[in-house]
Amino acid sequence: MNFRLMKAIAAVAALAAVSVPSVVRAQEFERPVRIVVPFAPGGTSDILARLISPKLSEAIGQPVVVENKPGAAGNIGADSVAKAKADGHTLLLMDIGSLAVAPSLFTDLTYDVQKDLAPVGMVMFGPYVLAVNPSVPAKTVPELVAYAKANPGKLAVANSGVGALNHITAVALARDLGIEWKNVPYKGGAAASRAVVSGESNVIINGSTATLPFVNNKQLTGIAVTGEKRMQALPEVETFKEAKLPLNDAGTWQGLLTTGNTPPETVARLNSELNKILAMPEIQEKIAEQGGMVRPGAPDDVKAWLDTNIKNWGGIVTASGIKPN
Amino acid sequence: MELFDNLLLGLSTALQFNNLLYCLIGVVIGTAIGVLPGIGPIPTIALLLPFTFGLEPASSLIMLAGIFYGAQYGGSTTAILVNVPGETSSVVTCLDGHEMAKQGRAGPALAIAAISSFFAGTVATIIIAVLSLPLADLAMRFTAVEYFSLLVLGLIAAVVLAHGSVMKSLAMVFLGLLLGVIGIDVNSGAARMTFGVPSLADGLDFVPVAMGMFGLAEIIANLERPSVQRVVSQKLHDLIPSRADLKAAFPAMVRGTFLGSALGVLPGGGAALPPFSSYALEKKLAKDPSRFGKGAIEGVAGPEAANNAGAQTSFIPLLTLGIPANALMALMIGALMMQGIQPGPQVMTEQPELVWGVIASMWTGNLMLLVINLPLVGLWVSMLKIPYRLLFPAIVLFCCIGTYGISNSAFNVWLMLGCAVLGYFFIKVGVEPAPLLLGLVLGPQLEENFRRAMQLSDGDPSVFLTRPISAVLLGVVALMLIAMLSPAVLRKRKEALAE
Repeated sequence: MNFRLMKAIAAVAALAAVSVPSVVRAQEFERPVRIVVPFAPGGTSDILARLISPKLSEAIGQPVVVENKPGAAGNIGADSVAKAKADGHTLLLMDIGSLAVAPSLFTDLTYDVQKDLAPVGMVMFGPYVLAVNPSVPAKTVPELVAYAKANPGKLAVANSGVGALNHITAVALARDLGIEWKNVPYKGGAAASRAVVSGESNVIINGSTATLPFVNNKQLTGIAVTGEKRMQALPEVETFKEAKLPLNDAGTWQGLLTTGNTPPETVARLNSELNKILAMPEIQEKIAEQGGMVRPGAPDDVKAWLDTNIKNWGGIVTASGIKPN
Repeated sequence: MELFDNLLLGLSTALQFNNLLYCLIGVVIGTAIGVLPGIGPIPTIALLLPFTFGLEPASSLIMLAGIFYGAQYGGSTTAILVNVPGETSSVVTCLDGHEMAKQGRAGPALAIAAISSFFAGTVATIIIAVLSLPLADLAMRFTAVEYFSLLVLGLIAAVVLAHGSVMKSLAMVFLGLLLGVIGIDVNSGAARMTFGVPSLADGLDFVPVAMGMFGLAEIIANLERPSVQRVVSQKLHDLIPSRADLKAAFPAMVRGTFLGSALGVLPGGGAALPPFSSYALEKKLAKDPSRFGKGAIEGVAGPEAANNAGAQTSFIPLLTLGIPANALMALMIGALMMQGIQPGPQVMTEQPELVWGVIASMWTGNLMLLVINLPLVGLWVSMLKIPYRLLFPAIVLFCCIGTYGISNSAFNVWLMLGCAVLGYFFIKVGVEPAPLLLGLVLGPQLEENFRRAMQLSDGDPSVFLTRPISAVLLGVVALMLIAMLSPAVLRKRKEALAE
């Protein structure tokens, strides 16, 4: 009756309040858009952001600025996006693998990965290459496992930092293969690659851009790669799946996100622009040069990926006791 | 000879009109950002990256390289004139360069800085051309063990660096080491002394600390003195270094060049190590070390040569191995990849015109820098005639913009201001901040490499003595310590050598 009518009016009003401004807003970017890259310039995320920004700017008719906010394993930059105005004008481009492990790695995380950030879309996937210094007498996975079992403590896996995805991958591999190797942390992937080429450490699991040139030059021996298919550049190196290794989807997953609670229409607009950009042949070419492949898709794909991997990767972090704090 | 063919190929690329133009653009931008304190080559190059998409790979790399070494030239200008290091690498130049300026010899100091840089740039170009392959090989032999020993050497040299008492400088080194501990530990991932502040997770950034302690602290100290005419009006002939100046500076220049070239090749060595080491070396070799810190021209020539040589030879690992020696080189790799060139050892054979073109352009670029900078000396010196009350707010403003720009973080601005207060305190109690800065920079690397070496050797410390390079470095450290502990021995030996 009266009460019911009021409720209906309230519901309509609420609906109007929610939908009207967002319909108006959905098509409009009224100020410059920022893409926050939470790492120093020069890395994969930074290069991708600088590739995408001019195209995105053309599409939305506003300047798109790349802003590097490095620090705390990407958390400072991610936090700044999480706390920005929820209108889709502040974007975050990063390896979402770092986001997936952040909740289990950092107990005092200042933002909630699943609530305070809204996925826009996946940008690219770059497979990992598992490679060894040529002083290790192994060319295939069984040979490597046999060597590790015969020479406990001789293998040292360089990773790009405690809690980095390649660290977690190495820990999980050792656990599943029943082998023991040292995990040696470095400041970033480039330093880790250098150390394995020089023989300071002797195993590396890292993105293909950092490892391929050395494998081609015989300074590293390729053992296996992640991803669905073998790599075009390394046709003789089998995939993790073929070698019956776990974690075939380990690698760099670069994703675009924005502030949580951004109106879904705005997110949808950003997603469709992103997918249009990822369909451009020149962009695909440049991304292939980064050792990756474009991964167009819906925002929900990223959300599902994050939900799964916060559980999977996070579980490994908790189980293995990798924990900075 | 293959070398000449290579150099000719490089020159033919570098001397193309458009490449000369991009080289000029690069060095001019570099000089400008070098002069502005805190606005460093890294953010500049990151900003310019998208503009290089449309360029030829060689042109874009030539321009970006020009920005980098151009900044080394420009960085010394503010260090000398107003005691604000424009770049990390010019901190040491403040020590004697600014003293010279205070004595009315800003002109010779600036000229010597430019000439040293040019000399170092020329020699480093030749070194890169002749030695890049063997040097890259040497760099690959440096593992955590060798690094640790090298860093110990650097730190011990830092104690020699300070004028004043050894106790005070030791205390400052340790304070620097302590401050260097702040942040997430690379080896264990544990956060230390961060008090839950995310901005502290990566440790204290060197640039705001250096700008606060040297630049801003100096400004505070200046303001407290009554405003006297600080700079004696300069006559034109005062702008040019005298023959005696050149004679004193030349050996330092040569030593600085070779020291810088060697240290620049090492990964992570970066901007801080070469000038500090060169300064320590010059002071050690000087007949009268007490002149250092009071306007010794060798103290400008050596470090300036070293930082420029180091800046250039840090391209060697990049060009020959595709391995970045520091953050800036990582950015260069990004630039290469955007051009579709996979950095790595194969670039040298597949794209010789690119590699040799960039190398040759370093020489043309250095020549341009000399031509640009020498006539500017007069202009820069006349900047000192601007009343200080007008000059200092501008410096403070640029320092703030610069520190903010490093990682777009307001935290760094506060850090700089805090360090300014601390630096002022240091001036009041009469201790030198330079050893603290060296401790801050080298401390974290020292720890990281020591623990990595231990982890890899299963905790066996004998690796430091059984690996030859490391053993030699530690031997030098032992000699230095013996020399320091018995100054009489050293003095006697010096007298004997002088005769």
